[in-house]
Amino acid sequence: MKKIALYFLVPLLVGLLLTGCGSTATNDQAKEPPASQDKKAILVVSFGTSYPDARKACIESTENKIKDTFKDYQTRRAFTSDIIIKKLADRDKLMVDDPEQALTKLQQEGYKQVVVQPLHIIPGKEFDDLKAVVDKFAADKAFDKLVLGRPLLGYQIDSNNTKDFDVAVDALKKQLPALQEKQIVVFMGHGTEHQSNTAYQMMNDTIKQANLPAIVGTVEGSPTLDEVKASLAQLQVQDVTLMPLMLVAGDHANNDMAGDEEDSWKTQLKKEGYTVTPYLHGLGENEAIQAIFVQHTQDAIDQLNK
Amino acid sequence: MIRKIIVLMFSLLLALALAGCGSSPTTSAPQEGKIQVVDDLGKTIVLQQPAKRIISLYSAHTENLFDLGLEQEIIGVSSKETYPPASVKKPAFDYNGDPEKILAQQPDLVLIRPFIQKSKPDFVKALENANINVVCLYPENFSRFDDYIRKLALLTGKETVAEEKLKQFHQQLDEIQQETANISPKKRVFFESTETEYRTITPDSIPANLLQLAGGINVAADAKAVSKESSIASYGVEKILARAAEIDVYIAQSGAMNAGGSPASIKIRPAFNEIKAVQENQIYNVDEKLVSSPTFRLALGAKQLARMLYPEAFDKFTQLPQQTTLSRQELAEMVVKYKHKEFFSPTSKHYNRTSGHLYGSFVDVALDHPAFNYIETAVQAGYLEGAGNKFEPDRAVTRDELSQVLFLLADLKDTATDVTIKDISLCEKPRIVELIVKNQVLTLDQQKQFNPSTTVSVQEALAALNRLQQL
Repeated sequence: MKKIALYFLVPLLVGLLLTGCGSTATNDQAKEPPASQDKKAILVVSFGTSYPDARKACIESTENKIKDTFKDYQTRRAFTSDIIIKKLADRDKLMVDDPEQALTKLQQEGYKQVVVQPLHIIPGKEFDDLKAVVDKFAADKAFDKLVLGRPLLGYQIDSNNTKDFDVAVDALKKQLPALQEKQIVVFMGHGTEHQSNTAYQMMNDTIKQANLPAIVGTVEGSPTLDEVKASLAQLQVQDVTLMPLMLVAGDHANNDMAGDEEDSWKTQLKKEGYTVTPYLHGLGENEAIQAIFVQHTQDAIDQLNK
Repeated sequence: MIRKIIVLMFSLLLALALAGCGSSPTTSAPQEGKIQVVDDLGKTIVLQQPAKRIISLYSAHTENLFDLGLEQEIIGVSSKETYPPASVKKPAFDYNGDPEKILAQQPDLVLIRPFIQKSKPDFVKALENANINVVCLYPENFSRFDDYIRKLALLTGKETVAEEKLKQFHQQLDEIQQETANISPKKRVFFESTETEYRTITPDSIPANLLQLAGGINVAADAKAVSKESSIASYGVEKILARAAEIDVYIAQSGAMNAGGSPASIKIRPAFNEIKAVQENQIYNVDEKLVSSPTFRLALGAKQLARMLYPEAFDKFTQLPQQTTLSRQELAEMVVKYKHKEFFSPTSKHYNRTSGHLYGSFVDVALDHPAFNYIETAVQAGYLEGAGNKFEPDRAVTRDELSQVLFLLADLKDTATDVTIKDISLCEKPRIVELIVKNQVLTLDQQKQFNPSTTVSVQEALAALNRLQQL
């Protein structure tokens, strides 16, 4: 009998608690300036990860940099992966909005100026989907001003502006180990069938121009691992450090890159006779990369204020 | 035509039988028939002959039917099959779909489990209304496993095979139990069944029984089921942490249905560093298919648990005379034990892969090959590889081949020493041989030759692994 009572009581309590939270949130907003031109927010959007440590080190760290830089903005989080959102809700009772939910809330709370800053690497399918959501809110005139920032390698590939690539390669230098002769870093990017996959080749070209001992390959696009192997053979290297060219060192980094699995990059390269050291840290841990996302947010704000 | 008549007669009989059971299925007298089975809902099923057109809507039923030798008779399976590999190729049916699809196949037996009856009663009703024999089975407790297998066998006329399989199964379990019986002190284990609310298992559940067989002491033996008949039990973070110092090994189930955390995520949970197993890095995942699903592979699951708890006893490689030439299947076993690598068990994702070795596809390593699990595990981990669809389990291992496997097992680094290997040009992977020799894992002969094509003895391979471990 007691048990049954508990079953009723617990949801009730949780319900109360939640409403409690709700009102605190409104209280927080009450501290904000009243609904006016000044009510501004930055929505930081990433794919998300279910690895709590990686979330802290790679996503939260970058979000916090943005938050600390733009203090007169309210900073919010959204993830684009429904699977991760659901997993976090079920497992950790951690509620994360998707971009649409987050923007709806900002609209309801009376925000007038909103910057949506993605933490994606390339403007691929994920970015297109995000853009579609932002475009919808823009078309509905949900905010006075709404702008979408660009991802890490955000300049359109067909333009001659390759500034993002130069800046990104400079940032990658910060995480390269001291390399000797016949040693190289192989970056593993996600890769995509989307046309933006050319960004990875652009990265390779930029790295080459910068004369860095590194090459870029991808899991699902080109350059493929076979192409990486061909480059390694040509460069006559013997020792490879594997690094994820991804915001977070999650499933791809732990399994596809560094796993004891027959098709992981580590296994495949070792079979060729390379000594391999995996580096299990996402780009989000690199402060120079965090600074790029801050700059892209600033660029977006500048666009907003034009 | 004859089949049609049989089906008709059958349906008629069944209708009568069902009408008979209608109100109180457990007490009514069933109609006369050759085969009578009372299922787990208390319904009596009467068959005139063993089922010949079977649709199984639960993966454990499918796996057991295959093990009873019913590949021909299975005409449909669930959409969640992963074992054996042949089950994945069978036509799949979904209880969330249209029952007409199943009726169109004219099955003479549809196997479900209580979960399906509970969540999709209308679907089951639709099948029963069309006079299909729907049998609902699921052994909640380990002690009901044999009875469950016998019912499957009775329905399909495989009683003899079933008894043989059960005998083998219990022999395998007994061997593990005998080995762990003398181990002292016993390891104390927390078994996480779901990551949500850190639930565990009930003391009479299948995993709890396997854990006991494997010589583990369940620290959560006082846990209570989340609901009647469930094998999942509430526990939670406070209780786990209250026993932090007692938990020698932390095992989390992985899989699609109920899954605990990964070792990486368990390690970093707030306050979990108080747990002894976390401090000593004794955190493992075990596939729910091997420890929770009622199939003969539970014997493999029990062995897996025993390997996690007592690697010094279960990952010892001693069964062969040391002078014997090492074969590839022995090398596979040796490396899986050396790395304490968990037995590979395929997920549905595995069958979607487009490159690499597909589980169970070596034509010379059948599912019942004694080294099957060692070979598959070694190959899936990338330590060994086959040649096309063959593994060549009995072929002797050469020094060239051994050097490549050893290189994959450890993260060797280049050393400053220079070596001259006179026959390096004869080696398939010169760079690997060079690194293996530089690190003194394998050595050269008096003439500074590596002799890549010479075979190796068990003793030599074990000595090399020893040196590898000490690096």
